[in-house]
Amino acid sequence: MSGPPGGVGITGGDPRWFQHAVFYEILVRGFFDANGDGTGDLRGVTEKLDYLQWLGVDCLWLLPFYQSPLRDGGYDISDFWTILPEYGDLADAVELVEESHRRGIRIIADLVMNHTSDQHPWFLESRQDRTNPKADWYVWGDDDTRYAGARIIFVDTEKSNWTLDPQRGQFYWHRFFSHQPDLNYDNPEVADTMLDVLRYWLDIGLDGFRLDAVPYLFEREGTNGENLPETHEYLKRLRKEVDAVYPGRVLLAEANQWPEDVVAYFGDGDECHMCFHFPVMPRMFMAVRREQRYPVTEILSHTPEIPAGCQWGIFLRNHDELTLEMVSDEERDYMWAEYAKDPRMKRNMGIGRRLMPLVDGDRRVAELLHALLFSFPGSPILYYGDEIGMGDNIYLGDRDGVRTPMQWAPDRNAGFSRADFAQLYLPPLMDPVYGYQAVNVEAQLRNPSSQLHWTRRMLEVRRQHAVLGTGSFEVVSAENPSVLAYVRSSPAAAGGSPVDTVLCVCNLSRFAQPAELPLQRWQGKVPVELLGRVPFPRIGELPYFVTLAPYGFYWFEVTGAP
Amino acid sequence: MTLTAALPGDLGDLLAPYLTRQRWYAGPDELGPGGVSVLETAELCSTGGGSRHLYLALVEAAGSRYQVLVGERPAGEHPELLQGHGDGIIAGLEDRYLYDATIDAELAKELLPIVTGGAEAATRVRPVGAEQSNTSLVYDDRIILKVFRRLVAGRNPDVAVTTALDRVGFTHIARPRGVWRRGDYDLGFAQEFLAGGSEGWALALTSLRDFYNSGLDDPAAAGGDFSMEARRLGAVTAQLHLAMAEAMGVDHDRLVSGRYAAVVSSVRDRLLGVAADGTLPRRRVEVAAERLDAVSRPGPAIRVHGDFHLGQAMRADGGWYVLDFEGEPARPLEERLEPTSALKDVAGMLRSFDYAARFALQERGTAGTESLAAAGAWASHNGAAFVAGYLDQDGIDSLLPPDVDREAVLAAYELDKALYELGYERSYRPAWEAIPLAALARITDRLAG
Repeated sequence: MSGPPGGVGITGGDPRWFQHAVFYEILVRGFFDANGDGTGDLRGVTEKLDYLQWLGVDCLWLLPFYQSPLRDGGYDISDFWTILPEYGDLADAVELVEESHRRGIRIIADLVMNHTSDQHPWFLESRQDRTNPKADWYVWGDDDTRYAGARIIFVDTEKSNWTLDPQRGQFYWHRFFSHQPDLNYDNPEVADTMLDVLRYWLDIGLDGFRLDAVPYLFEREGTNGENLPETHEYLKRLRKEVDAVYPGRVLLAEANQWPEDVVAYFGDGDECHMCFHFPVMPRMFMAVRREQRYPVTEILSHTPEIPAGCQWGIFLRNHDELTLEMVSDEERDYMWAEYAKDPRMKRNMGIGRRLMPLVDGDRRVAELLHALLFSFPGSPILYYGDEIGMGDNIYLGDRDGVRTPMQWAPDRNAGFSRADFAQLYLPPLMDPVYGYQAVNVEAQLRNPSSQLHWTRRMLEVRRQHAVLGTGSFEVVSAENPSVLAYVRSSPAAAGGSPVDTVLCVCNLSRFAQPAELPLQRWQGKVPVELLGRVPFPRIGELPYFVTLAPYGFYWFEVTGAP
Repeated sequence: MTLTAALPGDLGDLLAPYLTRQRWYAGPDELGPGGVSVLETAELCSTGGGSRHLYLALVEAAGSRYQVLVGERPAGEHPELLQGHGDGIIAGLEDRYLYDATIDAELAKELLPIVTGGAEAATRVRPVGAEQSNTSLVYDDRIILKVFRRLVAGRNPDVAVTTALDRVGFTHIARPRGVWRRGDYDLGFAQEFLAGGSEGWALALTSLRDFYNSGLDDPAAAGGDFSMEARRLGAVTAQLHLAMAEAMGVDHDRLVSGRYAAVVSSVRDRLLGVAADGTLPRRRVEVAAERLDAVSRPGPAIRVHGDFHLGQAMRADGGWYVLDFEGEPARPLEERLEPTSALKDVAGMLRSFDYAARFALQERGTAGTESLAAAGAWASHNGAAFVAGYLDQDGIDSLLPPDVDREAVLAAYELDKALYELGYERSYRPAWEAIPLAALARITDRLAG
């Protein structure tokens, strides 16, 4: 057998590649416009693959590229089988997959399982009356009283999870916007058809899916409608299919829940391969802002072990707001006060900003946060543009503020598109600090000390140390609360090869800080700093003393002979 | 343990110069011949094929009793371990030398199984900061062993309280792992080591440095705001008091029948003393004292921490932990064991916030009116959060005076503490007397106003 159906996957690779991969999240609409119509497209992504390969990312995550009325950034799918025409066609998708694979880059796509657009033909049919063939494909009710235990997620816009459809004279169920009716997974036809959707895209060679909003697939009275056993059952069914027919492809679950609840989505290693770790993200910001490690160490100490062959997905920023659902009310108030000083920056339960403006443009902080991201347990996911420190425009509606065009060059339209300015899907940033004249790929490629080159170097170092992907994580105690030190290590292999150990020491403070670290267990070894390969003094009997520049960090290898 | 004749007969005289160099030694600077009497010695273990020995020696000098752990290695074996530890060398003899065994990792490692009756063992040991009354060793970053140096007959209060709290299920302490007791004396106490912990004092300074550097007036607006931590510390303090009451009982009469009045009367006398210098307006002192006196129901008494400040609270991943239940070392033991108002600990922590704010200011070398206002704002913002967290705890009301008297009782203990600080600063650090003085002015003002 030469490979999966279609024969276009990356064959012969490590089936657990995702445990060591760096992901790169792409908004197709905003990445690069190949046909000059003002909107980014799949061919645009293909044209920029050389850049992504140079940067050193391992897997692209494409935001939804399906047919859609685009009332929710494409998360309102109106046809699962068709590419959104503005993005291209199936041939473009196949070409993108093949060209990516040729460069050793994998590619996964967003898939919304929970709901469709209200413009989807299934819903148009379902709403007509109570007897049509699709009548049962959505969740309908005579009143709006059922499932009262389910919270409302988009509190800024929605008042109820039920909306009356005048045509059918019944209420339909929706966990998100009222134009996104939930599919009825209790109907076996729906469950089977969605499995067909998965197969269809895996057959053209996609390496997996980011499964959007998975906790809400089923509804049961008397529950909060999240993480139900039926939902897990269904996901296990998907996984079985992937393992049997599409080995090496990955299911990444978006379940914005506490880690102890999220682990259920790994099953016993027989459900999703990856899950996002949501709560660690706001806490990284909180730790830096408060100059102390406890927000982070607390959540990591409450993060359960995951089955072998699974991995967390971790990120600093993405296309959504900085989510604050997974912090306490008190902490949310704090985060809003610190990072969303202008009320326009608040969105639902979060903060609608990109990384660089969040840290007041301080590159030292941005680098420190990336250093944490690249060395915490999990696979890091970069958001397009954060590698060059792009900004945001909080005056654009909804979540568009962080979805402006990628800034490739100081030329017209940021080098993103040759269309007329007025034709662009969103204006590129033009402010003096983050505008494309100041922040763009072309300029940073020329400048060896740019953030872009720094990011590339970090990814290169990370690639050399598999332990940063799968090693254990252990905090090293430092009395100084502003210092976060931890060890990633993997045990000696059966053959007796040496233990791979990386020690990370980070200063969360804007002031220089000292740290005395109890490293006696490595007595006699010489820590080697990984970015410069500089050997540090030998570890002795006494606590190991290091000093750190403001927001400074070290990655040390403590592997090798003493 | 076997009695041994291996230690030299003149051990007492050999120990005299060593003893006087130790921080935990409390006697005169010099001890003449016969100044140290050896009460008991025992060999605890030997290593290196019987060539290295660990001895316990209980000695008495100038009326105090001490524990010395003596290490012995053969002469000629020149270990690095003595380097930089000149103070720990006891004697170089013809065929061997003697030294403080806590600096010898090989011997110190053997202490853990001895102390815990074989329940615990470790592969690594490191000493941590030397304290006034004990020496601490950390094993495998997992267990901390306090070796008590100055011995007092009876149960060591830290051991007694920590063990009692553990027994009633209070988890915000370093859990006991073993008590080493010999005759009437507690010699050592093994506890869980709070790896990854920082002292509350260090966290408060982190917040303060951020706040002073931000140039803001409102500490709540600064990124390093400490109030969430302060609030949680308040909650843990209330839980501690409830556990204390459960473990050691509640005394409903003690304060009502005179102990509170005694505190007020002592506070009044000392305040009038300060007023006599002209440092405080006498009239205000009198009005404030009347307010304290007017309290008819000062509330129940419980065993408290007794020396509660930011240095005794440790922040780790599981939240706040409370350490060191020995009480104020300067006070006599009976007084430290005496039940008193739970608000005494609350007052102690409020004073600690005040000190932290002023200390961080001193650090920066700025003490203008504006920065003093900033320090005051930080202390009262976080003090309020601490008290709110404390009072929010279910059940804590039962340990406190009724609402109408609460503020006055708290103020009485704050004043008591600030007056103690004033005495201390005037004796040892006159440059710091402004801190307690400002507190006295502020608290009396609050009471009189």
